[in-house]
Amino acid sequence: MSSMSMPRSLWGVDSRVIVYAAIGAALYGILLTFQVPVPGTKDVSARPAFALVPFFGYAFGPVVGFFTGFVGNAVGDQISGWGLLTSWNWSIANGLVGLIAGLAPMYLASMIGGSLMNRAIAGAIAGTVGVVVGFLFVFTDMALSGYDMNTVISTEYIPVVIGNLVSTIILVPVLVYAWEPVKERMGR
Amino acid sequence: MNYTPRYLGRGSWLSRRDPRLIVLTVVCFVFTAIQVWDLRLMLVLALISFIYYRSAGIPFRAVRRQWAFVLFFVSLLVLVNGVIAGGRVPRIPDDQLHVYLYLPLVGTPVSAESLMYALTQLIRFLAMAGVGFPLAFAMNPADFGATFARLGIPDRFAFAIDLTFRFIPSLAADLQTTIDAQRVRGMELDKGAGGIFGRMRRQGPILVPTVVNAIVGAEDTIDAMDLRAFGTGPRSWLRELRFDRMDRIVLVLLVLMLVSATIAGFTTSSARVWVPDAILPG
Repeated sequence: MSSMSMPRSLWGVDSRVIVYAAIGAALYGILLTFQVPVPGTKDVSARPAFALVPFFGYAFGPVVGFFTGFVGNAVGDQISGWGLLTSWNWSIANGLVGLIAGLAPMYLASMIGGSLMNRAIAGAIAGTVGVVVGFLFVFTDMALSGYDMNTVISTEYIPVVIGNLVSTIILVPVLVYAWEPVKERMGR
Repeated sequence: MNYTPRYLGRGSWLSRRDPRLIVLTVVCFVFTAIQVWDLRLMLVLALISFIYYRSAGIPFRAVRRQWAFVLFFVSLLVLVNGVIAGGRVPRIPDDQLHVYLYLPLVGTPVSAESLMYALTQLIRFLAMAGVGFPLAFAMNPADFGATFARLGIPDRFAFAIDLTFRFIPSLAADLQTTIDAQRVRGMELDKGAGGIFGRMRRQGPILVPTVVNAIVGAEDTIDAMDLRAFGTGPRSWLRELRFDRMDRIVLVLLVLMLVSATIAGFTTSSARVWVPDAILPG
């Protein structure tokens, strides 16, 4: 059984990377409209589409992951009318999640080389690391919007991390399980 | 549901400008606004934003839901920030605040300074939204690739942005087909037990086929690009972009605005919250 499909170089940008990145971003932007409220919270909702960011990063590399998160979030904002670049720092935070998940071969190499179950679990771990670290970028709102640190923590960072961890932990392994056999059939 | 970006400003004065100008306006305006905390200057920026927004010719009826959302979201954030920040105002020591009252339970002081800070923050967000909306509704989605390429983004990434917008209609159609197919099989997305985890897991039958089909279908696009030797030389774009005289004038004004705000931030009190004497408690 082969390991997860990785580009020859983690940072290479060929036609395959470009097309996967564009598909990831378009899907993420479209599917952002689906939200599942988290019970017991007022404003927190989990977005199933978010799982695409760590999945595309994990499956196709950090460049695809960054693009999927960064451009996908911007496209979602564009479709909703908020504007492509109005919340650019949030788009970068999304991109960082995909990028960090895409670097999984550097910190989860043994799991990625293991069984399908190990690879699915590695996907969830890489996504979790990506979410927790990547969304630290939203603290730039302290400089950009004049928010207090407690405001950023309680109204932005914690809600977004909880919501996105739910989708990451549940759906990334599902996507890895679904994609791996297809990938092998395609000879990728 | 319509997933594709809506080109509502078609034919307006702004839509006739070079699309690079629309992107640069957002960049210049956002970086100007975040340096200003004087409400009087912020109102001037809001006026500029309003004039710019009107030039995009976006019918209000088509975007009132978006404006309602922005107003609600921004007001909530400003209010929560005011309470959670404990009434503190940047660059003004706590002992210099003119306190009206203390909020019951949380004990947050409500002062003349914190009210002006919140009001300035609210106007700033609305002004930024006013500049952001035209980017969403008055720029032809087909121009994104060429625009970003001409703004200096590497060709491959500009092409990927272009491709993203081109994929949206077909992927949205695939998504709708998948949803319809699952519903025909009796799937109900919003019903069933299992709480948040169960509801999230039930998104799988929609998400997985849509994603895997999209990735498998991408092979045709990849093959087409490879057969046309994509990436072996500099790329040309169907749409030629050229700044005209009006674009240049607007661009110069934008840069002047940004530079002035930056200089004023160091030399005047524009980066400090302005409090009119009239609202200071007796």
